[in-house]
Amino acid sequence: MSSTFDQIATIIAETCDIPRDTITPESHAIDDLGIDSLDFLDIAFAIDKAFGIKMPLEKWTQEVNDGKATTEQYFVLKNLAARIDELVAAKSAGA
Amino acid sequence: MNLDYFQLIDRIVEFNLEARTIVVEAQVPQAHTIFEGHFPGFPIMPGVLLTEAMAQSSGWLLLGVTRFERMPFLAMVKEAKMRGFVSPGQLLTIEAKVEHEGSGFAVTSAKARVGTELKCSADLTFRQIPFPDPSLRVHMDAMASKIGFPLQAMTP
Repeated sequence: MSSTFDQIATIIAETCDIPRDTITPESHAIDDLGIDSLDFLDIAFAIDKAFGIKMPLEKWTQEVNDGKATTEQYFVLKNLAARIDELVAAKSAGA
Repeated sequence: MNLDYFQLIDRIVEFNLEARTIVVEAQVPQAHTIFEGHFPGFPIMPGVLLTEAMAQSSGWLLLGVTRFERMPFLAMVKEAKMRGFVSPGQLLTIEAKVEHEGSGFAVTSAKARVGTELKCSADLTFRQIPFPDPSLRVHMDAMASKIGFPLQAMTP
């Protein structure tokens, strides 16, 4: 079974037409890959469906806007993968 | 349908909060200047307006799902397919279904028919944000009343 990062990278590559081999765990979705907010809606939809979760994008955005978090915490892909793993684990624990 | 004001939906036929579905009707006017140009001698509803009608149907559905707390704004149109001509005077029946409720966005699928004949379909994505102006909320409440949105269906 592929890792969470691999699944995210594949989704991003297919959704945004970005070569898969240019997407690394250190890639920043916005700063490095140039993904805009509209494309990120598409990615969020695909990730939500693939992992059976609801990524709290509004909460994350609010935290960044309030200075309580950095974009790196959510949008560097290895960190995004970790957040997704947490959401999946929380969902499993609550199921 | 009031094309001059971009109000394409006439009546809510059915709203199912649990199933996240809606059915609406939209009466294409018998005459309008749009048909003089689109097209001379062969008047048909433009595909963009059919897409907008599907978006407005989805919009009413999402307003109901969020209990009028968030306004949906069209962000993405995918798989828009115009499957048959829609002529002046025809009655469109449009069905929409919520496919996904994300954080600050939602995805719907919509289909429009004339009678039993499928005329168009699309997958639509909306951003959902708190009403940006109180007057818009007032307007949507008035429109909901006008087109028969079953507000009682949103009561838990």
